[in-house]
Amino acid sequence: MICRDLIGFSHSTGLEAPPPFLLLSSEGGPAAAVPLGSLRLLSCKGLLHGAMAEESLESGLTWEVRANSRRYHTRRQKKSFRCFRWGRYADNVIRSHKFSPLTFLPLTLFEQFQRVANLYFLLMVVLQSVPVISSIPWYITIIPLAIILSVRGMKDLASDMARRRSDGEINSRPCDVLVSQSFNRAQWRDLHVGDVLRIHKNQVIPADLLLLCSSEPHSLCYVETADIDGETNLKYRQALSATHSELTCRPSQETLAAFDGVVFCEEPNNRLYVFRGQLHWRGKCFLLENEHILLRGTVLRNTEFAYGVAVYTGADTKIMRSCGKLRVKRTRTERGFNRVVMGIVLCVLLTAVLLAIGAGVFSSWAVSHAGPLTPLVVDGNPAYAGFLMFWSYIILLSPAMPIALYISFEVIHSVHSLFINWDLEMYWQPADGPAQARNTSLNEELGQVGYLLSDKTGTLTQNRLLFRQCCIAGEIYGDASVRAEEIEPMDLSWNPFSRGGLFMTAPGLLDKLRGRQCPFSTQFLRALSLCHTVMAQWKEEAPVYQAASPDEEALVGAARELGWVFLSRTRECVVVSELGVTRQYQLLALLDFTSKRRRMSVLVREPEGGLKLYSKGADIVILERLQKDSPYQEGIERALESFAQACLRTLCVAVRSVPEASWEQWSKTLGQSAAMATADRDALLEKLYDEMERELQLIGVTAIEDRLQEGVPETIALLKQAGLKVWVLTGDKKETAVNVGYSCKLLDPETRLVEWQELRQILQSPDPGVSFFKARQTELWAVDKQAAGAKTALVLTGPELAEFDQRPEWGAAFMSLADRCQSVLCCRVTPGQKADVVALVKKHTGAVTMSIGDGANDVNMIKTAHVGVGIAGVEGSQAVQNADFALSQFRFLQRLLLVHGRWSYRRISLFLLYFLFKTCGFALVHVWFGFFNGFSAQSLYETWFIALYTAFYTAFPVMCLAFFEQDASAASSLKWPELYKTGQRQELSSPLVMSSSLLYAVYTSLVLFFVPFGVYYDTAYDYQTMALTVALAAMLTATTEIVLLTRYWTKFNVVTVLVSVGLFFLCTRITQSPFLFQRAPKDYYFIGVSDNAFVDPLVWLAALLATWTAALPSVAALALKVVLAKRDKHRVHSASRHPAQLSAHWRRGAPPRRSSRAPGPQGGGPGVRSTVPTVDEQVAVKVVAPPPGSLENSL
Amino acid sequence: MLKEAQDHANRPDNTAFTQQRLPAWQPMLSAGIVIPGFVLIGLAFIGIGVALFVTSKSIQELEIDYTGFEKDSACYKCSDQKPVTCLCQLNFTVESLLKGPVFFYYGLSNYFQNYRRYTVSKDDDQLYGNLDNFKSPSSTCSPYEYNRTNVPIVPCGSIANSKFNDTFKLYQKVNATMKPVPFDGKGIAWWTDYNIKYRNPNIIPLRNAFNGTTQPISWPSPAYELDTGNPSNNGFINQDFLVWMRTAALPDFRKLYRRITEGDYAQGLPAGSYMLDIEYNYNVLSFDGRKKVVFSNVSWMGGKNDFLGIAYLVVGSMCIFMSIVMLIVYAKFKFPEED
Repeated sequence: MICRDLIGFSHSTGLEAPPPFLLLSSEGGPAAAVPLGSLRLLSCKGLLHGAMAEESLESGLTWEVRANSRRYHTRRQKKSFRCFRWGRYADNVIRSHKFSPLTFLPLTLFEQFQRVANLYFLLMVVLQSVPVISSIPWYITIIPLAIILSVRGMKDLASDMARRRSDGEINSRPCDVLVSQSFNRAQWRDLHVGDVLRIHKNQVIPADLLLLCSSEPHSLCYVETADIDGETNLKYRQALSATHSELTCRPSQETLAAFDGVVFCEEPNNRLYVFRGQLHWRGKCFLLENEHILLRGTVLRNTEFAYGVAVYTGADTKIMRSCGKLRVKRTRTERGFNRVVMGIVLCVLLTAVLLAIGAGVFSSWAVSHAGPLTPLVVDGNPAYAGFLMFWSYIILLSPAMPIALYISFEVIHSVHSLFINWDLEMYWQPADGPAQARNTSLNEELGQVGYLLSDKTGTLTQNRLLFRQCCIAGEIYGDASVRAEEIEPMDLSWNPFSRGGLFMTAPGLLDKLRGRQCPFSTQFLRALSLCHTVMAQWKEEAPVYQAASPDEEALVGAARELGWVFLSRTRECVVVSELGVTRQYQLLALLDFTSKRRRMSVLVREPEGGLKLYSKGADIVILERLQKDSPYQEGIERALESFAQACLRTLCVAVRSVPEASWEQWSKTLGQSAAMATADRDALLEKLYDEMERELQLIGVTAIEDRLQEGVPETIALLKQAGLKVWVLTGDKKETAVNVGYSCKLLDPETRLVEWQELRQILQSPDPGVSFFKARQTELWAVDKQAAGAKTALVLTGPELAEFDQRPEWGAAFMSLADRCQSVLCCRVTPGQKADVVALVKKHTGAVTMSIGDGANDVNMIKTAHVGVGIAGVEGSQAVQNADFALSQFRFLQRLLLVHGRWSYRRISLFLLYFLFKTCGFALVHVWFGFFNGFSAQSLYETWFIALYTAFYTAFPVMCLAFFEQDASAASSLKWPELYKTGQRQELSSPLVMSSSLLYAVYTSLVLFFVPFGVYYDTAYDYQTMALTVALAAMLTATTEIVLLTRYWTKFNVVTVLVSVGLFFLCTRITQSPFLFQRAPKDYYFIGVSDNAFVDPLVWLAALLATWTAALPSVAALALKVVLAKRDKHRVHSASRHPAQLSAHWRRGAPPRRSSRAPGPQGGGPGVRSTVPTVDEQVAVKVVAPPPGSLENSL
Repeated sequence: MLKEAQDHANRPDNTAFTQQRLPAWQPMLSAGIVIPGFVLIGLAFIGIGVALFVTSKSIQELEIDYTGFEKDSACYKCSDQKPVTCLCQLNFTVESLLKGPVFFYYGLSNYFQNYRRYTVSKDDDQLYGNLDNFKSPSSTCSPYEYNRTNVPIVPCGSIANSKFNDTFKLYQKVNATMKPVPFDGKGIAWWTDYNIKYRNPNIIPLRNAFNGTTQPISWPSPAYELDTGNPSNNGFINQDFLVWMRTAALPDFRKLYRRITEGDYAQGLPAGSYMLDIEYNYNVLSFDGRKKVVFSNVSWMGGKNDFLGIAYLVVGSMCIFMSIVMLIVYAKFKFPEED
């Protein structure tokens, strides 16, 4: 976001590098990476400033910032004159515009001529201005080229002006700078490194600042980073204790003006979440961390004032550094087409060579046979004449290169993207969110998707998390089989902080809690209220929670409802009201969550004095860290299993009492390792964390429900019918994933799950490539030979996927197996593995892959896939920002793919095929004509016709086709998802189709030349009449072809076809009029040809014959297709007459056993919950597919 | 109300255009339309083809090669490339009345008048009567811009230089006397060429305009002496010159020389013996060319043209054939599915 707002590169909206560690995990649990809370004052060894500086330099901290010494920095400011640059520190001015009035023309031309097509045509213009080879005048090519260049230039200029405006606005934003002991209002552009700033509440931070102190206690301050990572929750930043205590106790302005610390830190870089540095002040050295830094682009919230010293400004700031250029994704069609264009260029070159040889032979004949041509052979040298003729033919055949194609392509893509943005059916009212095509060049790829790789949480499910069940000390509370809406709310009126939102009935638990009978329950809730990174914001006498992940919010919220109310946190303590009793816990350490650790812990000192470590995390990591003989472990594991089968997300909660001595020892080591400024610090810290999180005692398990989004089963069923392979990649447990797979119709009840051991066996068979099929049919898949492939799904987990790294040869084998299966579920995968799976699919199948996800953990796979779709959901907007398309709901995918994608694919393919046909068919006549004019590169058209043919006579109808064509209406497209397979099979864009279009063009050019040739051979008709006849026939053929292609005639199509034909006659009359001839006899030398030709029936008859003969194959093919059309095809066309229910289609496929359960106790309706299988249903499933990998294994 | 509008600020417009629901005509093709359509088009083409073929057959045409390539040819003696003017007589008989008006063409073969460097070798400005281009002809005329002594050539260029300069006189042998057949040389060039594209300079007498210029190298006389008797057929607007300057499309071509429309021959050439008196100047044998004369009458479709009629018949028959194939395919593959 900020990239666009502050810099404004329209194409660089994403962050270049993914964050070094993930902020959130959508699955798996509590989240938010918060830097080590307990790391505070850590002094470096050296005392003298010089010695310290030297040490800083050694550790790579070479960026020196002296507070309050503007003169020091201005001398070293970055300046440039022409190409010379010097200085070190950038100023705080954003210059994202590229052009100035002086540089616009050269720069835009330079940029545009980097396109090969434009360069090629520039070369043509240059060639054409060489008189000896110029077969057509130079202005003929320069007209289309100029149109294209100026359209493009105008577009660039307009966006540059917009950037310039926004730059100006940003650069002149106000801020308070400390100048000579008082804060003055200044503009952002006047800011320098080392300046001390005062930031007000809700102000945007103008540069990367080192936080010195703030108006809040402990110099905490809160920032919103929505513009950087899209997360709307508040994060806290905190000043060093030293600066806090020294700078806030006395009147601020004087002390701040006297502040003379020197910051040593890394050179400017793009790592948004890492900062390494030292502050040298008053002879002491303080370590600086990310938590001391306020990044440019973030907004100060909930804090009256914050004071900071500018460390990086302008182009040096982290956000500006991370605004890299987004990798450009190209569509398969475009790549294929580029190859075809290259092929055309090669063919043109080859043809020109052959024709040049012909010219040489002819010239030597002309030289040896005295006649009117003999003196015309250049220098009397046939070889030289042939060489020159080569260039002439390159020029003459250059119209076969579709120059206008690329610009038309861009326009069409933009219009298709607009149609996506405009679609009301993809607009989600509750969030006021229309669909967004963020990348406007991938539209036709939407119509060819073969693999859909979907995230689960937030994509298939709503990510509106509800605390539904928990298990404390082996006892399960709550019942998840009752729909959340139908839960009878518990009476929580005794709790003044209760605000509702708890969908769990467990009076027993309440009794236990309020009666304080069970220490385990108390511990459990205490853990929930302490172990998190949620911020509490006070509104109307009640805390409002700001959580980085919805899981945490649900957990802390549930604890609040049950009486354990998290009230506030400071750096040093967490305040909790336990059943009305306010208790303050001293926060000693916060061991943060990462996607690798998958757990978080807090170490607190209880008011009574004891040290407790509370942990929560994924079962897999918590269970392996338990003390031996933990009570209730068995019961809790059973609960875990049953929760997972009910599609609930689980987290284990554990506690450990830490002896004082061990804490002291540990914190000392921690302090030392944290002070290390080297790269292996992180590994060391992790090891230390690991040491602390041991010998845990399991208290219980939380179970959170994440409900399926509306329309997910229907959408998946529809997409499966459309021939898409839907894979689910999730960080969740295998059971949860499998259950969601069943509930969203990805798997049928009789689907056989093949797990790792079985799969491994197949992969390890001596000749996996060949023996798949056999293996499937003989031993392993013997159950049902026919349906074996169709009714099978593979289930993999992250660690198992990792084995693929060691055995790359398995990839191909795996994919060919997966190709025959219904689906593949990958559970427990990390974000990196998600991307690896996408890459695997991309590598081993030629299919187009689409990734869809909603969280930061999906960014990798969204970027890796051919097409990335982001769901604008609860988890920030990271996914959306990196996606090519953004949707509000998963179910909109059906419309995006089956309607927009299919249409786009068809429209763009037809457009490309037609473009190929019309340019080549029209240009190639010169090859045949060459045989009858001594290979002299004589043009068979009036030069104006060549110029206007592409631009005026044939451009508009095909654009209309590319905008409006619909072979089946939106409703029909959704009703017959099978139609989508056209795109997957590349039926309209395969090399074969393109080549056949080229062949057809060759045929057309033959007809266009030889029919008039036959008519005019040995007659008194002159060259110009023949030229006009061929031109007329070429134009009519192109028009006939577009008429045949257009199946959806809007008024625009009709008008453009008529206008194009009209324009031909009008322009022909104009360029051949006496009026223009009298002004420039040389350029309008076709004067009077149309006067004579258009009244001659022979001309019309010849043109008509040529047109019809040229169009005959196309007409015949169309007619044959109509005659052979299957009945269902007819049904598609007449779809509107038989309105049928979409849902009926997928329901038909569902077996009676499951469908009978669907309207079960939970009731019918569009309720999503009803399709989630219950526990005993799972047993039935397991009988069908005995689980080779037991639950214990997966845990 | 306002609040609601704000809530849905991003709501797309509900118009036929944005929702891609523009009213449109979707032609529903079926075998019932396609097959009869093909038959109809085929029949139409066959009809046109028959009409063209019949018309073409009704056109009488008499074509005589007079290159003098064969030894027994009348003009054999002239074909030995002597620069001296050579006269030869071509005797032929008309079997039956060649209905008038009769057009008299000369035809050249293997003559690449469409060679690019040849077709551009003229100066349109000069031919439009621009006196500046008399002094300095356009470079496109090269190598016939200037003569050896650097005097500008007018009209410059290859086309003008290679102007066809054989002349013909036709006599009918009536009772051993030679009765001249009158030729009509008016209006054989295009109206636009004669009136607009080519123009003599507005200088009277015309020859003064040509001061300081020279005639094309192979011309016996300058342009202002092409038809000294008739100022409206002299200089650049000489009909023969205009006809020659309108370059041919293909290497085998004809050009209209005269029409026979006057006197006793207004109704055509009666059957009988004729003698064509040829002043043989133009050498084509050096580049394997051929020369011929053609007497032909014309119809609504111009001269004789068998190709077009046959082509229409072939394409028409193909359409009919395809419709039959389609009918068979339809009957064979379609009906079993209908149930």
